[in-house]
Amino acid sequence: MIFTDLRFVLLFVLGWGAFFAFPRRWRSAVLTFWGMLFYALYAGWALLVVIALVALTLTSGWRRFLACIVGAVIVGVLAYFKIAELPGVESRSLIVPLGLSYLSFELLHVCIERFRGRLREVGWLDLFAFAFFAPARIAGPIKRFPQFVDEVRNAEMSASNVYAGALRILLGLVKKFILADTFALTVTERTYAASMAHVWIIVIAYSLEIYFDFSAYSDIAIGLARMLGIALPENFRNPYSAANIREFWERWHITLSQWVRDYVFSPAGRALFRTPLRPWPFVIAAISYLVTFAIVGAWHGLTIGFILWGLYHGVLLTLYHGVRTKMPPAVSDHPWYRSRVTRVLATGVTFFFVTLGWVLFMVPIADAKRMLGIMFGAGS
Amino acid sequence: MSLLEPPTNRSAFRRLAFMILWLIVLDPFVPPILHRLETWRYEGGTAFRFENSDLFGLGPLVSYLREHPRGERRRVVFFGNSLIFGYLLDVADALPAQYEKQVPGTRVFNMAINGQETGTSYLVEKAIIDSVDVIFVQEISRKANPMLGSLIPVTSDDARAFGLQMPDPAEHRMKEWLGRVWRLYGSNERLQAALFGTSTRQYLYLNKRVILKTLLGSRTRIDKASAPEPRERPVVLAPRAPVAIARDRRTMSKDEQLVYALADFTRAHRKRIVFLNFEYLGQQPRPEIAQFNAEYAPFAERVVVMVPPTLIFDEQHLHEHGCRLVAAALAKHELEAEKELPRR
Repeated sequence: MIFTDLRFVLLFVLGWGAFFAFPRRWRSAVLTFWGMLFYALYAGWALLVVIALVALTLTSGWRRFLACIVGAVIVGVLAYFKIAELPGVESRSLIVPLGLSYLSFELLHVCIERFRGRLREVGWLDLFAFAFFAPARIAGPIKRFPQFVDEVRNAEMSASNVYAGALRILLGLVKKFILADTFALTVTERTYAASMAHVWIIVIAYSLEIYFDFSAYSDIAIGLARMLGIALPENFRNPYSAANIREFWERWHITLSQWVRDYVFSPAGRALFRTPLRPWPFVIAAISYLVTFAIVGAWHGLTIGFILWGLYHGVLLTLYHGVRTKMPPAVSDHPWYRSRVTRVLATGVTFFFVTLGWVLFMVPIADAKRMLGIMFGAGS
Repeated sequence: MSLLEPPTNRSAFRRLAFMILWLIVLDPFVPPILHRLETWRYEGGTAFRFENSDLFGLGPLVSYLREHPRGERRRVVFFGNSLIFGYLLDVADALPAQYEKQVPGTRVFNMAINGQETGTSYLVEKAIIDSVDVIFVQEISRKANPMLGSLIPVTSDDARAFGLQMPDPAEHRMKEWLGRVWRLYGSNERLQAALFGTSTRQYLYLNKRVILKTLLGSRTRIDKASAPEPRERPVVLAPRAPVAIARDRRTMSKDEQLVYALADFTRAHRKRIVFLNFEYLGQQPRPEIAQFNAEYAPFAERVVVMVPPTLIFDEQHLHEHGCRLVAAALAKHELEAEKELPRR
């Protein structure tokens, strides 16, 4: 884990000192320099790729069509590296540059907002600081440019921030090293698991591992930023306490959900409403969900498993949308429907479906078929 | 207000200062606590092995042995794969623990790991040779675990020869420096290994049934009560040629060269090494073994353990009785062999 590397800790301490020692107007320069040092140390040559992408993004404000071209280039670069990492592809030892998936979506957000004319002033140093902000470069959260720039400008050094940040980091370390890594050991049993109960235990353990692991990275990133007085957006809010799949996506990887909502789901829905599909809003919702979550799946990796996992969630969201819109008021307004017991049951059902989906995320598709077969008593 | 939100700046400062003070006060107690825990773990009466075949405990054990070259008892180390580790057996039923029971006054370290090859044994032995008396090495190919570079001291030549992943030198130096200044940080892995015998997460994982009261699934264990006492006995063969003729190393396979390198190294330190070969099909030892034994006696010996089929399960692993009988045969053989060793 990079966060526990002493080189990273030393870089952070030096970056923290410089951030507050230099005048406020130099903060973006300090964050850029620190971030580039960090990126060069851990990603080597990929630093040049990121510099090129950020420089390109700067040009996206000159003309609207340039924003489109730059956006396409960013998507192309991301797709290129995602394809290059696929097994069996002649990749010339290429690996996806550290945090490129997150960075791409952050830069795309800048391009789209500039295309929409909502983001007029983008300082080049601010954009570099935004792109190279080390704590969020490894595994998010996916930031938004205006909020980030405001946070950097208004950041204050305080014991309160350092304390809260340190506790958040500690929480992340416990989640990662005690919980996630322990569940991961159970997950390794998947290679020889043959009984239904055993496979279910493994899949539930994976469900918990992926949550604790991913949210640990977010906690540490948020804690480090908090020590600098910068509030990063929250990424997880007890996702397994969600009572339906929509609520789950409001609690799981929140910054990604919000990104695809703003830049894929809503525009897709609006565009479809201008087509002959207008009389069928359910169809529009279904297409929007499926397209959005196919992209979410592909963002994780260009494998059939990830894309199927995304589509699976698209289908779940579509079904939930259908149930919610067609539900008679007599049911939805009934006290039993709103009772605590129903919520607990609904939470269990949601966890069941989410956990089932993780099988596609966890293993290649052939293994997923085998595991799902065992889970439902169809043998291997 | 969340727990993560301190009420005021001043109180947050006080809490931070208290946390740092607490760490400073605690730090001087780390070495004596570590010493007690390690003595209990490594010199105590409980059988030792790397639980769940996890390498985490290797670095701490090697550090301990290097810092404590003399133990309360004679030290014997076993290297090998799942057969020596004791696949599906309790630690106390595995071959090394059974050997410890057979030879009073001996402390046995089961340093076998599933899938371990002789390259790993070679590198670990080099790191601990001054702290052990007898080494048993199961002969299996020549690879070394690439992780060894960040777990135990290895030379750069060995790292290249075995393709080890070495830690970043800057990171390594910083860790060493911080470990000296902040003893809790420097000893954290050794504390875990001494306390749990493995990492905290492995310990939690291995005890999850106890903790969660749930079953592990379909993994089956040998039923001790139902396993019958076999009549057949294993035989340890250690042929020795009447005249020692040094073999030309250039004509040997790389696996063989490694065995000779290990034997040379052990003899140079005037310790004893026994190479174990397990034979299930009744084939007699190759003539090279007799040549080797004549050349290296009494410091190194290649033995063939003829294992009857009734002592094994799944065609390659010893069951509980098998371990006990093989350990007894090895102990008897060693008793004879050690008479030849020069007195130290």
